[in-house]
Amino acid sequence: MSLHRRLLLSRGLTLGAGLALSPWAGAQTGPIKLGTLTPLTGAGGPYGPVMVTTVKAVIDEVNAAGGVLGRQIMLVSEDDQTNPEAGVRAARKLIDVDKVTAIMGTWASAVTTAVAPLCWESRTFLATVSGADSITALPHLGYLVRTQPNTTLQGRKFGEFAIEQGAKKVFFLTPQTPFAQSQLASMKVAVEKAGGKVDSLIYDDKKPSLRTEVDTALRGTPDMIVLGGYTPDTTVLLKDLFRANYKGKLLGFGYSVNQKLIEALPGEVSEGIFTLSPSSDSGSAAYKRVADITKSASPDPYSCQIYDHVSLIILAMADAKAASGDAIKDHVRRVAQGGGEKVESAVAGLKLLAAGRKIDYAGASGPCDFTDIGDISDSKFRYEQVKGGKLALLKVA
Amino acid sequence: MLNYAIFVFTIAGIYAVLAQSLMLSWGMGGIVNLGLAGFFAIGAYASAMATKWGGIPLPLGILLAMLAASLAGLVVTFSTLRLRDDYLAIITLGFSEVLRIVANNEIALTGGSDGISGITGGVSRAGGISYALAWLGFVSLAALACFLAVRRLAASPWGRALRAVRDDQVVAAVAGKPVTRLKAQAFALSTAMAGLAGALFGHFGSYVAPDMFQPLITIYIFLAVTLGGNGRPAGAVLGAYVLVVFLELTRFTTERVGGISPLQGAALREITIALVLLVLMRLRPQGLLPERNQKAFPADGPNPGKPP
Amino acid sequence: MQGLLQAILNGLVAGSILTLPAMGFSAIFAVLRYPSFAVGALASFGAYAGWVANHQWGWSAQAALPVAFVVAAAVGTLAEWVAIRPLEKSGTLMMAVASLALSFLLENILRFGFGNDLRGFDLPLLRDMTWGPLRMGPQQIKNMLLALGVMLAVWAFLRLSNTGRAMRAVADNPDLARLRGIHPARVAMITVAMGSGLAGIGGMLLGLDTSIDPMTGTRLMLSIFAAAVLGGLGSIPGAVAGALVIGVVEELTVYAISPAYRTPVGFLVILLVLSWRPSGLFARRAEA
Repeated sequence: MSLHRRLLLSRGLTLGAGLALSPWAGAQTGPIKLGTLTPLTGAGGPYGPVMVTTVKAVIDEVNAAGGVLGRQIMLVSEDDQTNPEAGVRAARKLIDVDKVTAIMGTWASAVTTAVAPLCWESRTFLATVSGADSITALPHLGYLVRTQPNTTLQGRKFGEFAIEQGAKKVFFLTPQTPFAQSQLASMKVAVEKAGGKVDSLIYDDKKPSLRTEVDTALRGTPDMIVLGGYTPDTTVLLKDLFRANYKGKLLGFGYSVNQKLIEALPGEVSEGIFTLSPSSDSGSAAYKRVADITKSASPDPYSCQIYDHVSLIILAMADAKAASGDAIKDHVRRVAQGGGEKVESAVAGLKLLAAGRKIDYAGASGPCDFTDIGDISDSKFRYEQVKGGKLALLKVA
Repeated sequence: MLNYAIFVFTIAGIYAVLAQSLMLSWGMGGIVNLGLAGFFAIGAYASAMATKWGGIPLPLGILLAMLAASLAGLVVTFSTLRLRDDYLAIITLGFSEVLRIVANNEIALTGGSDGISGITGGVSRAGGISYALAWLGFVSLAALACFLAVRRLAASPWGRALRAVRDDQVVAAVAGKPVTRLKAQAFALSTAMAGLAGALFGHFGSYVAPDMFQPLITIYIFLAVTLGGNGRPAGAVLGAYVLVVFLELTRFTTERVGGISPLQGAALREITIALVLLVLMRLRPQGLLPERNQKAFPADGPNPGKPP
Repeated sequence: MQGLLQAILNGLVAGSILTLPAMGFSAIFAVLRYPSFAVGALASFGAYAGWVANHQWGWSAQAALPVAFVVAAAVGTLAEWVAIRPLEKSGTLMMAVASLALSFLLENILRFGFGNDLRGFDLPLLRDMTWGPLRMGPQQIKNMLLALGVMLAVWAFLRLSNTGRAMRAVADNPDLARLRGIHPARVAMITVAMGSGLAGIGGMLLGLDTSIDPMTGTRLMLSIFAAAVLGGLGSIPGAVAGALVIGVVEELTVYAISPAYRTPVGFLVILLVLSWRPSGLFARRAEA
C-alpha cells in the first residue's frame, strides 16, 4: 500500500472511530456541572451569598489549573428561599435540567430533608451544612455527607466551655430549631456533671423586641448565657441583654456572632462575647484560604464548610476518574480520610492524585473524616472572643 | 428536562386545587381566606400522620385530610360569625400562622421543625419516571375533579345564591337566602379542597415541615387567582398553571443576565415576578378569564319559544 | 408583681415600635379604603434611607429621621401612582393583592442594592434606666415620645389644616367631598405620602432598636396589619391603641404563659376583642 493510501486509511479509521464514539465523547468533554442550593432570600439570606462566592473561588482556581479529568467545571447556583417547597423546585431544576453531579450547601434543615430524597433517587451527591440529627438518619444510601458536627457534640462543647469559664448557672436562649432540644440536653449533661445548673427558654425569632424573654432569663441571675439563634434575632437579643444591664458572660455559635453581626452592633455590646465554631487545626491553610476569599479574618463556619464540600467533590471525582454522583459517593471517603498525604486544597490534591498518590484532605471546617452515615467523625472547635470589634482566637481544641 | 417538566406540572396541579379552593371562598363567596396555607398544612399533616403513624392506606388518608381541613374551616367560620369580612381576613391569617407555630413547637405531636419525612407516595419512589408520571396523572385528575365540581356548583342555584351573598349580604338576606349557612358551606367545601391539595403535596414530596406552609404560599395563590380570573373556576386553574410555569421560567431568564452576583440574580428574579404580575393586573384587571355575566333571561325574552 | 409591671412596660415599648407603621396603614385604609400590604416594605425603605444618611453621610439620628420620612413617602407615592391607582376601578381587594406584589418588589429592590447583610446605625447603645425594680430604655422612651408627637402632629394636621380636613372628608364620604370641590385623587396621593412617610420613620426607629436588612419591615407586616385591625381599620388613634395592646398582650404571654407562643396567644386575644367589638377598638363609625 502506498504511503498516501495508508495515511488516508488511518485517518479514515480515526474519523470513523471518533464518529462512533462521539455521543459518548461529547459527554466526556463538556463541562462538569456542580450546583449550589443556598438561601439567597428568606430567613437564611445572610448566609447564602457568601457561600456561593466561596464555591466560585475554588472552582475558578481549579479551572485555571486545568480543571478536573481534563474538563472545566461549571457552577449553577439556585436560591432555595429558605423554604423547603421552593428548595425542592430548585433542586429538581438543578438535577433534571442542569444535570448537576452534586448539590452543595443546603442550609435549612427542612430544605435538606426535603431535597435529600430527590438527590439519592437521582444519584446526585448532596453535601449539606444543616444541623438536624435526623438528616443523616435518612435512608440516603451514601449520597449525603454533612460537615456540621453533631449537635450532641456541640452541646457538650458548649457546656464544657461554660464550666471552664467558671460559670455555675447557665441559661440557654434559643429559637425553636431542629437541634435546640438535643443541644440543650447535652449541655445539661456536661454542666450538671460539674455541679452547675442549666435553664432554657425558647423564643420567637421573628420579633423585634425580646425584653420580657430577657427578664425571664435574668431572673435566675445566670453567669453565662448561651445564644442559639441566627444573626437577625441574636442582634435583637444582644441589644436587649445590654439594655437590661446584663454583665455576665455570653457564648454564641460562630455562625451567629460573626463578623457581620459585630459590625452591625455598637462595640460595647459585642465586646467580650465568646464564640464556638467547628474548626480545622490552627494554622490550617484551607482556613486561611477561606479567610482570603471571604475577605474576613474570621470567616463564617458555613463558608468554611462549603469550601470543603466543593474541594472534596472535585477530589473524589478525580480519584474515581469519573464525574457522577455514584463516583463521588464511592470515592469521597477515599480522599477525605484513611491516611495518605495531607492536602488542604483541591488544586494541591489534584496534582497528587494525578501522580497516583493517596491523599487525605483536611479542610477549612475540620479534618473532614466521615462516618458511614455521613456525619463527621471528629471535629476540633475554635474558641474565639470578640475583642475591639474583631474576633480573636483563644484556642483550637 | 422531561422529569422537570412533569414535576412542574404536578406542582402546578396542586396549586390549581388550592386556587380553586380560594376561588370558591373568595371569588364566589366573597370570603377572603388569608389563612389558606393553614388549611393546606392541616391536610398535609393529617394525611401524613394518619398514613405514617396510623398505618391507614393512602386514599383514606386523603379523605381524612379533607375532613380535617373542612372541620377546621367550620371552626373558623363559627368563631368569626360576627366579624366583618375585612376582619375575617386577619383572623384567617392569624389562624394559619398560629398553626405553623404550634406545628413548629409541639415536637411530640408533629415532629417540630424537623417535620415528618418518609411519607408514603402510594407507588414506589424508586420507579423514577413512572413515579413522576403516576403522580402527574393523579394530581391532574384531582385538579380536574375539583374543576368539574366547582363549575357544577357555580352553575347551580346554590352557586347563584352564594354569589348573591358575595355581592350584597344584606340584600341577599332580605331576599331570604340563608347567608350564614351558605357561607359556612362554601368555606367548608373550600377548605376541604385546600386539605386535599395538602395531602397530595405531602404524599408527592414524602415530607412535610412547618416552614413549607408560610404565608408566601397563600400570597402566591391569591396572585394566581387574580391573574387567571377570580370569577371562574377555569380562571383559577389557568392562573395557577401560568403562575407556576412563570415562577420556574424566571430561573432561566435571570440566568442570562450578566455581571450580577447570584444574590442579585435571586433578587432580580423576585423583582421580575412581582413586576410582571403588577403589569398583568394593570393591563387585565379582570384576569385572563373574566367572570361571565349571568344572563337573567335568554336573548329572546323571558319566555323563549312561546308567542309573545 | 414587679415582673408583671415590667412586662407591661416592655409591652408598651414593643408596641410603640409598631405604632408608626400601623398609623400609616390605617391612614391609607381610611382614605383609600384598601389594606396596603406594602407598608412593611416601605418601613424597610425608610430604615435603609436613614442608615445611608447616618452611616454614609455621617448625619445624626435626628437629622436622618426626616430622610427616612421623605424617601419612604416618595417611594410609596410613586409606587401607589404607578401600580395601585390604576386598579381603583377594580375594587379594593385587587388593590390589596397588588400591594402584596408591590411588597415583594420593594423588598427585593433593597436586597438587590444592599444585599442581605445586617446593617446597624453608628450610634451607641444605652443601658436602661432603672427606677427600683423597673427598667426602661432612654432610647425607647424617646421613640415612644416621638411616636406620641407624630400622632399628635397627625391629629392636628387632620383637624386643623385644610388638607387634613379634606382627607377626613374623603375618608367619610368621597362623593360628598367631590361635591364640595375636593379632589379625591389629590387627597389620596397626599394620604399615601403621609402614610408611607410614617411607615418610613417607623422603619428607621425599628432599625435603631434592632438591625436593618431587606426584611426588617416585611417581617412585621402581619403585626402591623393585626394592630390596625384590632384598633379599628381606618382609625389612626385606633392603630396606636392596637399596637400597644398587641405589644402588652405578647409580653404578658411571654411572662405568664410561654415565650414560644406569644404570637398565637396574641391572635387569640385579637379574636376575642373582635368578637366583642367586631369593628375594632375604635370603630370609625357605627357598623350596621
